[in-house]
Amino acid sequence: MNKTLAYTITALVGTVFAVFFIYPVAMVLKQAFMNDEGFTLSYLAAVFENEIYVEGLWNAFLLGITSTLASLFIAFPLALIGHRYLFPFKKSLSALILIPLVLPPFVGAVGVKHILGVEGSLNALLQSLGMMDPAAPVDWLGDGRFWGVVIMNALHLYPILYMNVAAALSQLDPAMEQAAENLGCPPWKRLLKITLPLCMPGIFAGGAIVFIWSFTELGVPLVFDYTRVAPVQIYDGIKDLSNNPIPYALVAVMLIVSGLIFGISKRILGKSEHGSTPRPKGKASEKPLSRGKSWACTLLFFAVFFISSLPHAGVVLLSLAHGWYGTVFPEALGMANYSEALGHPLVVPSIQNSLLYASMSTLVDVILGLAIAWVIVRSTIWGRTLLDTLVMLPLAVPGLVLAFGYLALSQKGEAFHFLVGDSMNPTLLLIAAYAVRRLPYVVRAAVAGLQQSNPALEEAASSLGASPIRSLRRVSLPLIGASVTAGAILAFAFAMLEVSDSLILAQQAEHYPITKAIYSLLSILGNGPELASALGVWAMVFLAISIIGAVIIGGKKGGLFRM
Amino acid sequence: MAGISVKNLDKYYGQVQALSDVSLDITEGELFFLLGASGCGKTTLLRCIAGLEEPTAGGIHFGERDVTKLPAFKREAAMVFQSYALWPHMTVGQNVAFGLEERKVPKNEIKQRVGEALKMVHLDGYADRGVDQMSGGQQQRVALARALVVKPQCLLLDEPLSNLDAQLRLEMRSEIRRIVKENGLTAVYVTHDQEEALAMADRMAVLDKGQICQLGTPEEIYRTPRSAHVASFIGETNLIEGTVFELKGDTVIVETPLGKVTGLRSDPHWTPEPGALAKVSIRPECLAFGSEGSFHMKAVVKSRVYLGSEARYVLSMPDESTLQLSEHNPGMQTISEGDDVSLVATQENILILEK
Repeated sequence: MNKTLAYTITALVGTVFAVFFIYPVAMVLKQAFMNDEGFTLSYLAAVFENEIYVEGLWNAFLLGITSTLASLFIAFPLALIGHRYLFPFKKSLSALILIPLVLPPFVGAVGVKHILGVEGSLNALLQSLGMMDPAAPVDWLGDGRFWGVVIMNALHLYPILYMNVAAALSQLDPAMEQAAENLGCPPWKRLLKITLPLCMPGIFAGGAIVFIWSFTELGVPLVFDYTRVAPVQIYDGIKDLSNNPIPYALVAVMLIVSGLIFGISKRILGKSEHGSTPRPKGKASEKPLSRGKSWACTLLFFAVFFISSLPHAGVVLLSLAHGWYGTVFPEALGMANYSEALGHPLVVPSIQNSLLYASMSTLVDVILGLAIAWVIVRSTIWGRTLLDTLVMLPLAVPGLVLAFGYLALSQKGEAFHFLVGDSMNPTLLLIAAYAVRRLPYVVRAAVAGLQQSNPALEEAASSLGASPIRSLRRVSLPLIGASVTAGAILAFAFAMLEVSDSLILAQQAEHYPITKAIYSLLSILGNGPELASALGVWAMVFLAISIIGAVIIGGKKGGLFRM
Repeated sequence: MAGISVKNLDKYYGQVQALSDVSLDITEGELFFLLGASGCGKTTLLRCIAGLEEPTAGGIHFGERDVTKLPAFKREAAMVFQSYALWPHMTVGQNVAFGLEERKVPKNEIKQRVGEALKMVHLDGYADRGVDQMSGGQQQRVALARALVVKPQCLLLDEPLSNLDAQLRLEMRSEIRRIVKENGLTAVYVTHDQEEALAMADRMAVLDKGQICQLGTPEEIYRTPRSAHVASFIGETNLIEGTVFELKGDTVIVETPLGKVTGLRSDPHWTPEPGALAKVSIRPECLAFGSEGSFHMKAVVKSRVYLGSEARYVLSMPDESTLQLSEHNPGMQTISEGDDVSLVATQENILILEK
């Protein structure tokens, strides 16, 4: 155990965090709560006196709550069924239903608009079947498109809750339910009185992340033109940022709400640990079902995957479409959009930019994540629990907040200006922003990997003369490689699809990442949406290739997605 | 190869003291055992010697070299782990070659030495096998070969046989001793199995609560335990409490509830006054049925267990206490439960311990 190394890493990571995380967040708070004379609540008051902002915040809050409930509604039954029963293709389906997490929701939203919009496929289908009056089409996305955003969020984010609930269920001692059964408790009561309360830590852990994510979601409402929601109002407020403190005050409100939710969920999690649930003695036995019922389970899992990837199927269709307006399917299909998209000045550079930003930030995450995980799991220094809490904080801080902090700090004369230079090149800022926000995933993956591998394996290397660095490279890394790769893929995928930092920090076309390029293409009249979809498909193809590649590399070592 | 000397070692985990003022001198080429119940600090001591734990105070020397502050990987102290800690992502040959590669040994020499090491543990031809294709005993030998191949300053073994079945354990005992002696290694071996220690050790230290209770050859420790704890931990013994009546040279007479007992003091530095508290220790095999001897008393047979090479009796004494007796090479049964018997033991087989 090398304490000096552990302290060095802690100090280094602490500094990086202070500079790229705490400082920007503090900057946002300063802009929101300080004027020339010192502390002030006047900006905050101004936000709450403005009906439009209050409505925006309230809508964002409602979006957060309903999206979380909708995700839970999808995730909980899946997790429970997966935990309890055996059914055909269970293994592959359990992996398949995690995929929507890496499908870009904001790209999917483009597809949904074409399926559920007033002139969309569904209305066209109903009209052609004579079930709807063409003169009075229904707007399925609803007034203000609130539910459209909820559906997109839920279909995108339910895997987070699914993983958390499934983990909580697998920690559950099967004897607890059996004891209730033995005492005469019927199945549905058992679910309510035993299983659900014991899963609460998992539900809260996942629920908090889903809430914060959808509460601050910027991309989907933007695509749906749903402007009466705080993140979009903030985004629109950037244009006159230099002397307007109101967007900062709005961002500060979002930060405080997110922080509160995160804190409360931690509280509840912390409390539940005091009741120290014993580790399960044996593996929970998965019951086989009758043939009909087990295929029904298979069908349910597949249906969830199918529905959540439907928006993206819509995107693929749109990208191939030649004229798709008021009809069930496009009038004609072809590759024209792809070739035109590749010719568009925004497209190729944006793909290059995104690959650069995402791979650099993933590299940073992997290096930092491994070092941090090593300190947390293997060292005994004071402050490693603090480090653990610190690196998890980005989960509680919305991307918008960080983006705003970076934006403020990169103005001329501010501390981060040297990172962008006078040409305002956001490359380093975006890499830092992506890296900080996705670090928790890599750290958690590496921590899990290290905890599972026997420390004696590293000690053996050390006793045979391998220095800490050598034993990391030759023993630890090959052993925990699979789980770190899984974390890194997640970080890479999220970075490729990142919306709020990308939209806010990339100001010039030549630095646009894919997401911002897609957003700009959408607003082009004519075949803009088609071009955007083509780029979206390109993005998904890149993601698919990198994920499949990683699965092939990591798969040999076994169990890549057993997170 | 060098001796190991440990001086005044202390180790704290927070407030808990795991080692307290431990000093040891292990000579070059010695197979030294650390023995004790679980939690006594023996593994902590071994890990301090290996450099895997940092002692709170005290020093460790390998020969003339002070290694107290040296990290594990610079100590040249190869360790065999209780769980073997074979790397699952490497073959048997790669596992064994690891330490040589870290020492930048030329490739052809590595190949040759790995071959020799595997041959020494009777695993020649297994180099390309996966670790998980090996049985427990084979894995144990791979772990041994991996540690031996680097020709370490000292070899450290942490309960290396505890995961093996009884038969294999017996075979491996003589195997490990042979290898250690053939290579002239200084080796420290941790175990809680007293039989293993008696069978293999040149010398051993018995630990309890982070301290060394006694240090000596197996015979010394078995024949003259210095404390009741050592006496009952190494082998079995009957302990009878009493007070000292008289001390004559090395002979002590102790007043016990069973009458006066005469025996030898186990510690020559112990000079008790009459009336001091003492314990009488008589091993079960030192008791016999008969009527001639310094220790001579009546008992009733409470139970008898026949084990082939020996028969074990539990005897009720007049004061309601019980004693164990073991009879070697018993003939056909002549004594049954409930029989009145008389017991004897010779004076030199009775030890008087300080309480």
